[in-house]
Parts: sequence; C-alpha cells; structure tokens
Amino acid sequence: MHIKLIPLLYLDPGSGSMILQIVIAAALGGAYAVKVYWKKIKRLFRGKGADEEVDGTAVLTEDQQQENDVR
Amino acid sequence: MSGNQIHSASFRDPSGFLFKRDGILYRQVNQTYRSHYDLLMGSGLYEQLVKKGALVSHQETDIAPLDPDAGYKVLQPEVIPFISYPYEWSFSMLKDAALLTLEICNLSLQKGMVLKDASAYNIQFLEGKPVLIDTLSFERYDEGTPWVAYRQFCQHFLAPLALMALTDIRLGQLLRVHIDGIPLDLANELLPGKVRWNLGLGTHITLHAQAQQKYAKADSHKDDRKKVFSKNALFGLLDSLKNTVKSLQWKPAGTEWANYYEITNYSGSAFEEKKAVIRKFLDIAQPDSVWDLGANNGVFSRLASEKGIFTVAADIDPAAVESDYQNIQSENAKNLLPLLLDLTNPSAASGWNNEERDSFAGRGPAGLVMALALVHHLAISNNVPLDRVAASFAAMGQWLIIEFVPKQDSQVQKLLSSRLDIFDNYTTEGFEESFQRYYHIQEKAAVAESDRILYLMKVRR
Repeated sequence: MHIKLIPLLYLDPGSGSMILQIVIAAALGGAYAVKVYWKKIKRLFRGKGADEEVDGTAVLTEDQQQENDVR
Repeated sequence: MSGNQIHSASFRDPSGFLFKRDGILYRQVNQTYRSHYDLLMGSGLYEQLVKKGALVSHQETDIAPLDPDAGYKVLQPEVIPFISYPYEWSFSMLKDAALLTLEICNLSLQKGMVLKDASAYNIQFLEGKPVLIDTLSFERYDEGTPWVAYRQFCQHFLAPLALMALTDIRLGQLLRVHIDGIPLDLANELLPGKVRWNLGLGTHITLHAQAQQKYAKADSHKDDRKKVFSKNALFGLLDSLKNTVKSLQWKPAGTEWANYYEITNYSGSAFEEKKAVIRKFLDIAQPDSVWDLGANNGVFSRLASEKGIFTVAADIDPAAVESDYQNIQSENAKNLLPLLLDLTNPSAASGWNNEERDSFAGRGPAGLVMALALVHHLAISNNVPLDRVAASFAAMGQWLIIEFVPKQDSQVQKLLSSRLDIFDNYTTEGFEESFQRYYHIQEKAAVAESDRILYLMKVRR
C-alpha cells in the first residue's frame, strides 16, 4: 500500500517529515489510546460515564481537553 | 473592473485568494476547493470555530468573482485592524498561536477535516486573542495520511518557541530571515544538546531534522511500507505537539525594562497627572487608531485603548511586550495589540517581490503616534537627528503626542555618562524647531516633578 497523499496538496510536506510520522505512528497512536482509556477509567470511577466515540476512534471530548489543559 | 487588487501575499494556495475591490477585502473561493468549503460550512465546523473565536467569520456575498472562470464563491471576511507577523510577537503570543493551530486541527479532525497548512502567518490577533484568518486552510480528512502540515508547524511554531525558551529569546528574530519558518537542522544546531533526550523536542526537532536529511531525496508516494497513519496516530501527533509546546516556558526575568515603572523617579501623583494630560490630548485629537511607540508594557497605550481607540503598543523589549500581552489576558483588555518592534530597524517589507509581508510603516498611517520617553533613545542612543525623528513620525500619522526628555533628566544623563555629548541641538528649543518643520504644536504641558514636556502636535499640510 502506498502512503496516501492528498491530490490537492499545494505545499511540499517534505518526504522526511511524512516518513518520520509513519515511523512513529504506532507510538503516537498507542500513547494516545492509553491516555484516552486512562481518562475513561478515571471517569468511570467518578461516575461521569463513558467517552464519546467518533467513527470508532477514541477522541478527547472538549470537556476532557479542558480538563487536560487545566493540569 | 476598476479598483480591483489581488493581495500581494495571496498566491500560494490555489484554493482561492484575497483581493480588494473599492477598498473592501474579499476572498474568492475557487471551484477546486468547492467540496472542502462546503464541508467546512455544512459540517458545523465553521460555526463551532467562529463561536469559539478561533476562526474569523465571513459573509458570503453576491459580488462577481475576480476570476470568474475559477471562482465558486466570494466571501467578505471580518476585518483585522492591524496585520502583525510572528517576528513581531512576544513569546506567549507565538505560543498561543501555536496552541490555537493545534486545537483547530483537533476540532477539525472530529468533524472529518484537517488543516492542510499550519502557517504562523495565518494567525492574527483580534481583541487580544489569536484567531485563524485563512478560511481555506481546511480540507477533507483522508484517513491513512500523515499530517501534511507537520513540517510547517514545526518550522513556524515549535522551532522558534524552543529556541526562544531554551537558547535565547532574541532567536525569534530568525523568523524575519526564514519566511517559511526556521529550518529544523538550524534549530537543532542552535538548541542545547540535551533536547534530544526530551521526548517531544527530541522527536519533533532532532529526529525530524535527521529524517529530513536522510530522506531528502525519497519519494514518499513510492514508499512501499505497509503501514498507514491512523486517525488515532494523528490525534496522538497533535497531542504530543501540544504537550511539547505547553512545556516550553519563558520568564522575562532580569531584562532591562521589565521593572521600568518601579524604578523610574515618578511619584504616584506625577504619574497620574501625566496620564490626565495624555487623556486630554487624545480627546482633542480624536484619532481612529494609535501607534504607541516605545510603549513598554502598554501602561499609556491603555489610555487610548480604554477609550475604544484601536492601539498598537510597540516596544523593542521582548519582556515588556510579553508583560503587556499577559496583562491583556488577565484584564481581558480590548482594542490593544502588543508588538515587538525595534524602531531603529523596523520590520521591513519582505518575501516574494518584497510584497508578501508589509513593512511597519506600510501598515499605516495611524491616526495618532504616541512617543513617550522615547525621543532621547532615538536622538542620543541611536544618533538620529531630531528633524529626521520628526519626519519619520510625521509619515506615520497625522497627530503626535510626544514627550521631550531634556538633557538634565536622569535618564538622559545615564545615556550620556559613557560617551561624548555631541548633541548641541538637543535642547527644548532645538526640539521644537525641528518638529515645527513638520508639525504645528497644538498643546504643551510640563510633566510634574521633572523637566519633561508633553506636546500635542498636528502634521502641517
């Protein structure tokens, strides 16, 4: 499979910059998933209920983002 | 089609461009961008961002596109009173602009879009807050693709912030030379060696610079790796960049001006009296905008901005501009834009054809120029003859509030203590004579407890 690039690209994203992201993708995705699920667990114990899921992908809701920002 | 003018900085992105018609700024959206624009408007993303103050609002208009063959829509965007550039921002201004860019990208991703560029020049300050001004920066998110603006974000935001925080605050000025952001190999060379052990900076600057070097000739289209960049990885990238930016701090301790108002010899009442005179002068001049030059942290700029007059508070000291910006945040002050500016070498017109980024004076004229406790720095520290100071101010605005600081003043004595006094013309008479070549003196008031004089002047026509 090729790395997908968008046909409308008008800036050169830089090969090195694109490849680096792919190299570290697993670490980034993993760290993010852990963060989101850790928050879920904390919320569960606080009884605030579960997080939103968008397209099956865990995302931080605005609320959580703000909570994050405060810390 | 008279009165049409394409904006000189609006040519890189084929999605559309800015133009002026009869003095009003419009943005043409091209047909090629149609589906992205419709998604931005239809997904609720536009509304959400405008409501948060993260994106400038616009009105769709019925006027004819400037380039009708390519045109899809013509927008009339909300006007920014003064366009400022990243090399004119304080540390926290650039940091807040960076965080806004990441937040917008994160919110876009939740609505199926992504930022296709992350240029610091797409951010402006409106009422003390950063705002994205490029409505055409969004595009449909195509899962599997890395962030195409990653390099630009690191060059425009992360590298200068890291250099300012960890090496020297003055390195922010590298943005003046490198108009598409600071090259990452240069940033990596200038940063302390320990950053490679920092997870965020080590990845996004050190490793990033090495990857750029290693894969400079690689064609990423032809890369046959099986992996793609998941949406979760993109959220992770944005989160990692956010944490890295947030970890960068700069505390303006021990700089020249930071405590200026605490160390000057003004008493409280003399200070209040000076403020009252300036307020009175502002009421006489009734300017629509003020440029306060040598504004320090904007104490006197606020006399204008609090009257509802849009005011630029420019100063050479990064600590003063930073303090001004921080105060604007805590006071929620309006009509005030802090600006880092060296008047002896003000921002030049730069970029393609010297037209992409305007010079400082080119963004004028202002209604009124304010120059308090400044003239001795220009005339004595920088040897500028008084009539040239007058000519320069006269070109910037119709009105002038200026404070003359005579030789016997302790601040001037300090400047003269280590050098020959070659300034025979630097007297009240010499000052008035030089300025009267360009101005009529309208009002004059002595500043209490000093030998200083405040003037209100109007340009000769």
